[in-house]
Amino acid sequence: MRIETIRAAGDRPAHIRHDDLISAKGVSVVIARQLILQNIDLSVPKGSFVSLIGPSGCGKSTLLKVLAGLVQPSQGSVSIAGLAPAEAARKRMIGLVFQDANLLPWKNAVDNASMLLGIADRSLSRSDLRARGQEMLDLVGLGDSAHKRPNELSGGMRQRVAIARALALDPAVLLMDEPFGALDAITRDAMGQSLLEIWQRTGKTIVLVTHSIDEAIHLSRHVHVLGIKPGRITESLDIALPYPRDLSVTEDPEFVRLVVQLRTMLRSSHQPGGVS
Amino acid sequence: MSEQPIIDLSEPRLVSNWSAATGSWLPAVILLLATIAVWEAAVRIFSISAFVVPAPSEIAQSLVAQWGTLMQATLVTAGEILFGFLVSVVVGIAIALVIVRFDWLGRALYPLVVLFQNVPKVALAPIFILWFGYGLAPKIGLILVIAFFPVTLSMLAGMQSVDRSLLSLMNSVGASPTQILLRIRVPHSLPNLMAGTKIAATLSVIGAIVGEFAGASDGLGYVIQFASTQLDTALVFAALLLVSVLGIAFYYAAEILERIAVPWAPKFSQA
Repeated sequence: MRIETIRAAGDRPAHIRHDDLISAKGVSVVIARQLILQNIDLSVPKGSFVSLIGPSGCGKSTLLKVLAGLVQPSQGSVSIAGLAPAEAARKRMIGLVFQDANLLPWKNAVDNASMLLGIADRSLSRSDLRARGQEMLDLVGLGDSAHKRPNELSGGMRQRVAIARALALDPAVLLMDEPFGALDAITRDAMGQSLLEIWQRTGKTIVLVTHSIDEAIHLSRHVHVLGIKPGRITESLDIALPYPRDLSVTEDPEFVRLVVQLRTMLRSSHQPGGVS
Repeated sequence: MSEQPIIDLSEPRLVSNWSAATGSWLPAVILLLATIAVWEAAVRIFSISAFVVPAPSEIAQSLVAQWGTLMQATLVTAGEILFGFLVSVVVGIAIALVIVRFDWLGRALYPLVVLFQNVPKVALAPIFILWFGYGLAPKIGLILVIAFFPVTLSMLAGMQSVDRSLLSLMNSVGASPTQILLRIRVPHSLPNLMAGTKIAATLSVIGAIVGEFAGASDGLGYVIQFASTQLDTALVFAALLLVSVLGIAFYYAAEILERIAVPWAPKFSQA
């Protein structure tokens, strides 16, 4: 397992780890006497796009919360650029996006986009915040919907505002928990493509929790497969498809091969079991 | 990438349903007019005494004859309702804020508020007269104890139903409990609060009339009591009619307030 994790560290030799933005070592999480995550080793290189995929109940969302500092690991340690996650979050290094956009219905898109930034940095004036919010909406392709309230936006547009809100913090890493899980297939593809473009334009590190095989392969550089009972990383897969990728990548024979490979990995991850 | 979203799925706007609304009132209006007609006819055919059941026409005559007295009484009662309603809303909001913001105090206060809600408040009216005399104060007190509870309860429900991942987002950037309260919980609770406020508006009318029954020298409640001792049942009904009009007016005033305060809230009528 450790060997696979190191391989997942990417394009550079395994012994060079200082480029890792996120590094989790031996992380276990016990909640209500249940072992949710067991001995997770994960490294996320700076600027990479990493997906966590696994069956329901494998603890992939919990892992993301551990990385975000929202859940304290029972064992092991996590560092984000050398800081504990909660501290990194306070320094605005972590941007969070959940399945529900969680926009404030009484604020328009631009004020929603700058809302967290306004909490994090009280020295910014209202016009600073507006400018930053507008800039981020432009980035996610919603520049001309700045004054619309959430109830005037579609599900995909709301999720774009949620991404803009996370990016407004100028975080080092974007942690996304099934951000497109509630969207229809077409919107989902479009959102994935937009996310890739945002990633390439901003150079952020992205960790994406997903249950979509296609999405994981279309977007990520590295995919980690989580198994259930207890949640653990069972396999890791490098996606060697060149960037920039667009939706036509899904017709690439290599893409199809990777889908088959990942599906096989996922199937075996459904088998409960400990670490050998 | 282009600056445009790749696909646009914005929802169509709801069309005005004014004609649908007037259409839905029509059956109620017809039923009301039919009831009045049957009532008038029944009183005449069976020669029912006016002091038992006055005919609608007699109520109307009484309304016209006593217009000055009734208007003066209506103003007094309306003042009590408005003042009592505002006090109830302010106190109800304050209690809800204290319960949510100060955890320990909240756990002490909330069970007591619920316990107090089970006291039959109408029975407090004589005590309030004893304590505060015959003036405005006992009416305000009575409206307060009757009407604050739905305000507190609805606002609490609104403040406590904030999505957990939104709270996670706030916590992740180091938001303080006060920031979360003021920026998230309070605005989030406004649609609930407005629903509670509408209930409080209706209860305020009841509170004012109960207060006037228990002891007053003015107001519609006093007119109702006085007229019934005189067996002037037509005047009782005329005053009751005005009480109802007041109730409806306060209810719709609260509804207009709701539309102004929370234009973003989902409307029940747009089902």
